[in-house]
Amino acid sequence: MATSKSIQIILARQLASCVATPILLVDAEGTLIFYNEPAETIFHTRFDETGEIPAGEWTARLAAVDDDRKPIPPEDRPMMRVLSECAPLSQTIWIQRADGEWRHLRVTAFPLIGEKDILFGAMSIFWEI
Amino acid sequence: MEVTLWGTRGSLATPGPETARYGGNTSCVGVRGPDGTVLVLDAGTGIRRLGTTLDSSVRRVHILLTHLHMDHIQGLGFFGPLYRPDVEVSIWGPVSSKLGLRERLMRYLSPPLFPVSLRELPCQLTLHEVPCGEVDIGEFRVSSALVCHPGPTVGYRITDAKGSVLVYLPDHEPALGPSPFPSLPRAWTSGGSLAANADLLIHDSQYGSHQYLTHVGWGHSSLKQTLDFATLSEVKHLVPFHHDPSHTDVDLDRLMAEAIAEAKPTYRVTPGQEGTTFRL
Repeated sequence: MATSKSIQIILARQLASCVATPILLVDAEGTLIFYNEPAETIFHTRFDETGEIPAGEWTARLAAVDDDRKPIPPEDRPMMRVLSECAPLSQTIWIQRADGEWRHLRVTAFPLIGEKDILFGAMSIFWEI
Repeated sequence: MEVTLWGTRGSLATPGPETARYGGNTSCVGVRGPDGTVLVLDAGTGIRRLGTTLDSSVRRVHILLTHLHMDHIQGLGFFGPLYRPDVEVSIWGPVSSKLGLRERLMRYLSPPLFPVSLRELPCQLTLHEVPCGEVDIGEFRVSSALVCHPGPTVGYRITDAKGSVLVYLPDHEPALGPSPFPSLPRAWTSGGSLAANADLLIHDSQYGSHQYLTHVGWGHSSLKQTLDFATLSEVKHLVPFHHDPSHTDVDLDRLMAEAIAEAKPTYRVTPGQEGTTFRL
């Protein structure tokens, strides 16, 4: 049987697809598996063009700095911290989108934990400040 | 394997002359392997009659519950083998995030809803929580996965020694979200990989297309969506199942004919009727 996304991830994508809030989804390994249309506007890139992006690649493509403009290492990015700590967090960051512009964002991210405490991935919701 | 439909109705048992052909009992499917393994898929009211067909030589029965809505467990307390001390009964079913299978089943199988408590049943009872990946049950390999339906609900994929595959998804709303449906690949569709390339798919088809529009999110599919899901899953034979209590035999004949004419499926479709047996 071919591997399928878990129902938790499938439903998270469906939710992201029908809200106006920018949302990003990663799986338990940190692979960026989906971002919705409002997020496409902020990132200046379309999901249909990029598809899924492995963890190392998307954190490298999208530069991120803190409010003091110090680079945030990949393992300290909100989604990666949520996966490693299995706990929600909220913080403000700056990201550099595909066309080089910097955007100031407030990010709230939380883990998607299923039955028997299985970690399926994480979802982040973000706003431009 | 031999697959028999003992209950094809959804939501509520609906006996009567106007439902006699498709059947009024709620969800229950019997599966027999050539070596004698007995699987019972769901314990709707159809399970009572199934129980009467098991002769005294049967010593082990596996009941695979997709979820614990009443129409899928109401017959459990009337399943004869539960009252035989010489029979091993294994019940497989989903847990919730807070309660195990035993606690969840006891909400029904205990007074005041039922006079006999789960722990008082004379059979040799064991409980198994799903989803639990792939397991061997007798001569079958069984996979389970959570699917889109309110509350913890699984679908089952049952493979026999010859490689024949039965997939059972009686309560399932894969169309919730994607618009139009289907618009995403199988991996992103609830139940998609579970049902892939099945020889026989028994699938929820509770509603007509117009009826679905007022029941979005209730956890069921229209017949058209079921046909589309079967196409996406590339199944060989589809059995529409879990008929709405409001649909008479005449209604179901019309709905099936209209949906099949519109979808023009390339696979075989046999509307689920109580008493039908399929051999894979």
